[in-house]
Amino acid sequence: MQLRTFIAKDMKAALTSVRAEMGPEAVIVGSERAKGGGVMVRAALEEPEVQASADENGEPVNDVDADFRDAMIRRLRDKPAAKPGRRRFDRSELLGSFARHRLPDALGHALAEASAKTNVSDMTLALAAAIDARMKSVPIDFPNAKAFLLVGPNGVGKTAVAAKLAAHAKLAGRNVTLIAGDVAGAGAVARLNAFAEHLDATIATADSAFALASLTGDAVAQGTLAIIDTAGFDPRQPKIAAVYAALAKIESVEPVGVLSALTDAEEIAEIASALAHIGVTRLIVTAVDLARRAGALAAAAMTEGVGLAHITRSPFVAGGLETLTPLALSRLLAESEQESAQ
Amino acid sequence: MTLKSMGPRLTAIGSGKGGTGKTFVAVALAHAFADLGERVLLCDADLGLANVMVQLGVASGGDLPGLLAGRIVLTDAVARIGIASHAGFDLLSAPAGSGVLADSDAETVERLAAMLKCASAYDRVLIDLGAGVGATTMTLAAHADDTLVLATPDPASLTDAYAFAKLMVRRTGGRAPAIVINMAAGAGEAKRTADALIRSAQTFLKIRPDYLGFVPNDLHVVEAVRRQTMLCVLYPRSPAVAAIETLAGALGGQMGNLKIAPSLR
Repeated sequence: MQLRTFIAKDMKAALTSVRAEMGPEAVIVGSERAKGGGVMVRAALEEPEVQASADENGEPVNDVDADFRDAMIRRLRDKPAAKPGRRRFDRSELLGSFARHRLPDALGHALAEASAKTNVSDMTLALAAAIDARMKSVPIDFPNAKAFLLVGPNGVGKTAVAAKLAAHAKLAGRNVTLIAGDVAGAGAVARLNAFAEHLDATIATADSAFALASLTGDAVAQGTLAIIDTAGFDPRQPKIAAVYAALAKIESVEPVGVLSALTDAEEIAEIASALAHIGVTRLIVTAVDLARRAGALAAAAMTEGVGLAHITRSPFVAGGLETLTPLALSRLLAESEQESAQ
Repeated sequence: MTLKSMGPRLTAIGSGKGGTGKTFVAVALAHAFADLGERVLLCDADLGLANVMVQLGVASGGDLPGLLAGRIVLTDAVARIGIASHAGFDLLSAPAGSGVLADSDAETVERLAAMLKCASAYDRVLIDLGAGVGATTMTLAAHADDTLVLATPDPASLTDAYAFAKLMVRRTGGRAPAIVINMAAGAGEAKRTADALIRSAQTFLKIRPDYLGFVPNDLHVVEAVRRQTMLCVLYPRSPAVAAIETLAGALGGQMGNLKIAPSLR
């Protein structure tokens, strides 16, 4: 708090000095007759500075409410234009945003072009319209699904996605069989086992394509949803891709691609394309919570030949599978510079 | 009475700025409460630079570091301050100028607060908070049942008292300290000073602190502090003593903690 004392010949003159020197937000906290005539006015002003007040011991004073309020005030005062849905379409600004999100150049230019052609004046909505034309949203139909073969590179979270799919299927009233196709991977079966136990799902291991086919056939015959977790691979390598393409052809099996939003955007576009070639039509993109640039997510979602089923924003099973709408993706991509810098 | 039986009432005195007379007011209040018949413990929580002992002119002020380190229990850690023909009180302090507790961690301070809260041998624990608005000070302020913020008509003291109030309001989720004005030329100046603080708090913190009272500028106080003797012993009829007694009454009466004074004087 700033505190200042003003002495003037009368109240009016004192108030004028207060306003002139401390601004309109100053508050008169006291006034009295000054010795020797005139008035003495004391005025206070609380600095609008954001209270990142570290106290004497250097410990930051933590106050969630205050932080929230400050954030709201900053938002309202500083960036009225940043409010979603209020920005006018500006092609170069949009391309700048795309660059910050590391969206592949070709896709970025195509999107900017398409957004411009929509003639929608609001930037986010124009982009959403352009994305809508390229992105298929194909959420999983749990009550009627038969068998899913999860495919994708190593470490993208296929096993966790298997658990999430199982959890959702359980919620939809389905019985679930988890099939471990990766019997060689260290701890792969054990991990799936742990999940299965918690989810009250049956678990089976398949060490050959033949075993896989027969296990899946059994499950489907019983009306159980089979979820097959596989070892990670690079679908861009023709030889190994052929093996998975064959697995994907097992009766009632639908291959579902699992990709991580942390992948480079160009890489993810190539991998998604390669997956489309082995018969994948649905993608699940993981680690969306971890990615600070939305380029990879957008590139995967807009790959020709595949649709986006779900995204995951939490490593925990309970975090679940979410859907992503073109508008939500548009907001992610077109968000203002300040927001992405934070 | 049920509240009382659970432990002493914690009254903390802070100010933000140094030199507002916290230690003097704390010592004088301790004495006044003792005279009102309360069993009083004065804790010098100016953990960096304790000086209650210096003001009282006593050799031993208790062993607060030993208590915090767990070497001794509270009853052994306090020093008895007895004053001729007056009720005495206990003092819990660190050796003067030792600064051993300057950088106590948060856990230690929380433990101290907990120990003071359940010091059931006392009716009243007065905490002389250090200057400033550091973590230690604010933790103890937040734990106290009554927290006083001491300000003088000096504008710098006002802004610091405001800062103290602000941090306390944040820390406690809306509890403001009660205002005491020290070194005021008279009731008018004290009231105006308190009003300035109250108005600032109302405008910027949306909270209205209470104005508890004032202690007038009294040369007797200066003299007593210099002589390292208690004011009430040296000048029992000085205006400052009367003001402190009124304050003690306000704090006791307010809390229903007032007992029949033994009228030792």
